[in-house]
Order: sequence, then C-alpha cells, then structure tokens
Amino acid sequence: MEWVEVRAKTVELAVEAGMQELGIEDRERVEIEILQEPERGFLGIGGKEAVVRVKPRPAKKRRRRKRSKERRGQGAKGKANSGGSREQRREDDQAREGRRDEKKQAERPREERKVEPTTTAAQEPDLEAMAKVVGEFLEGLLAAFGLEGEVEVGVEEDTIVADIRGEQTQALVGPRGTVREAIHELAKTVLQRKTQHSARLRLDIAGYAERRRQALTIYANQLIDQVLEDGGELMLEPMSASDRKVIHDAVAAREGVRSYSEGEAPRRYVVISKIEQPTEEAAPEDSAAVEEGSDPDTEAAP
Amino acid sequence: MPKGEIVDRVVRYVVSEIVADPGAVEVTVVEQGPSEVVAEVHTAKSDMGRVIGRRGRVARAIRVVAQAAADEEGLTAGVEFID
Repeated sequence: MEWVEVRAKTVELAVEAGMQELGIEDRERVEIEILQEPERGFLGIGGKEAVVRVKPRPAKKRRRRKRSKERRGQGAKGKANSGGSREQRREDDQAREGRRDEKKQAERPREERKVEPTTTAAQEPDLEAMAKVVGEFLEGLLAAFGLEGEVEVGVEEDTIVADIRGEQTQALVGPRGTVREAIHELAKTVLQRKTQHSARLRLDIAGYAERRRQALTIYANQLIDQVLEDGGELMLEPMSASDRKVIHDAVAAREGVRSYSEGEAPRRYVVISKIEQPTEEAAPEDSAAVEEGSDPDTEAAP
Repeated sequence: MPKGEIVDRVVRYVVSEIVADPGAVEVTVVEQGPSEVVAEVHTAKSDMGRVIGRRGRVARAIRVVAQAAADEEGLTAGVEFID
C-alpha cells in the first residue's frame, strides 16, 4: 500500500487517522498532502470535511517541505476545534470526556506538539527498553486482574511484539476482541507516558490476534479474487485499524489490486479496488469501468 | 472479597500507570445495585487529560477494561472521572 486517503472533520484528525491506518506513530515518517481544507458550514449545516493523503516517508529525508505543511495542518486544527463540538454531540457517551479533552488540547503549550516530530532523527528510541516497559505494564495488569498467565515481549523490526498467554487470559480478549483492543490502547498510552516515545505495538492475547489475522487474510483473499474477476471496487464492512491493516497487507501481497480506507472511525472501512491496466486505446473505457465499480451500494460486502 | 475489588484494583493500577502523579490517584468503588458498581476516579487536575486522552480514547479503554474486571466477579461496572 502506497498511501491512504482520509476524510475527517479536521486536517489533524484526518492525519491522525491516516497514520493509524498506516501503523505509523511518528509524524516525521509520513508525508502529508492536504487535498482539501475543512470548511465549516453555516450553523453546522453544509461544510466540507478535510481530505488528506498520508504516505509513508522513506527514512531520512529533508524536512524542508514538510514544515510548511505541518503549519498548515495546525492552523486548520484550531479552526476545526470549535466545529468539533458538533461531532461530540453525536457520540453522546464520550461527550464529556471529548469536550474536556478538547479544552486540554487548547491549554497545552504549543512546543509540546512541535518537539515530537523534530527530535526523532536525533535520538532513536531504544525499542528493547520500550518493549520492557510494555511487558511490565502487562504483567502488572495480569496481577491486578488476578489472572495467571505469561507475558512475553520482543522486538521485530520497528514493532514491539507482546504476547499474553495462558488459559485464563481469554478474559482479556473480550467479545470480538474489544478488551484486547482496549489493553492495546492503554499499553500504548503507558508507553508514550513513560518513555516519551511511540512505537508500533502488536499485542496478542490467548492467540486471539493470530487466529483473527489468519481468518481475515483468508477472507481478504476471497474478496481479492472476486475483485480481480469482476473488476471495480469492493467495499468492506467497518473494521478496527488493526483489522484494516491485515486487509491492506493481504491486498499489498497480490498483483492487480489496491486498497484504501474511507469513512471515520469507528465506521471506517476498507475498499479493495482492481487496478485497471491503462492501454492506449482502452483509456476512455477505463474511467467508465471505475465509475461503475465504485457504486458502494451494489458492491457492498456481506 | 468485597464487591468490586477486582474493578478497584484494575482501575487503580491502569490509572496510576498513565498519570504523572500516581500519588494523587484516588479510586472509590461505589455499589449502585446488587450487581452494579461504579468506580469513581480522581486524579491530579493536570493528569485528567492523560486519563481521558484524545477524543476520550483512553477513558473508553479504561471503561472496557474495568468491565472486563467486573465480569470476573459477575458485575457490571462503570467508570466516572471526577475532577
């Protein structure tokens, strides 16, 4: 997968979602292209979402161009914060925290946001030490739950890999893996808090993630076969960021298809799209084929 | 074992791990009914944002984990963040 295109209320939120999608935590390691700045509608009616394209940045590149974009993103964020209250009203169960969180952000000194992207090149975080922090947190969590199990942590390339094993640890998976997801979120929060760094974290509990990854990969490949046969695009049901990553990886491993995500979490979903081969005479037909296939209602996944 | 003890332990642990000032963390588990408890969480004012997180993500995760802890005791658990 080369890049993701993300729509959200604000540039900041779109970038964040895009980075999550790509599994990249570090702002320095993505290239951001703002395709559309958000516009507020009149009295909350109308208006446009922000559209950004987020792309992994190859290691070690100059920072010159990115800076100006960063500034644009921040400017847009301030504008959109006030519009954010509309979104909160919809998500009523988080309304309270959301508003407070927003206030918090406004209070937060600016430097804090700027420091992160500019210092990463200078001090590479020690992933092994970070993995240890995650391991300690998870062991403490098991103890707090009073569950027996083993925690194993390690580092694979740029990713911290944590595995909680043991019969009793099934309780930490939860229905459809919701508890595992929450623990993942908390582990990342603790990591950031204690080390001032983020890293990709893969967390498996009681073999759940691995089983799910396998099942999703099989599912994705069936859909890819279908898209390759029928052409056009196929819209999947909404999924978590980690599930979408599995689909994106499966698509990336196959020829002739590409994938991207649309919508806003938690209703964000992947679209698998056939790459039409542009030949000289078939060029006009091509666009017609894409248009036909992109109808979301006729191509909806099960 | 008092009702909600696991909820108490888990919420206390998670919140303390996240905040900058664990000493200021107070968790009180209040019985709301025969099988329902609410964990009231106080932190230092400056830590509230950490515990809630961007768009309430951390708070939501704490709620999910608190419910998982409550499941161990056959309870329903809510979490309230009070400043």
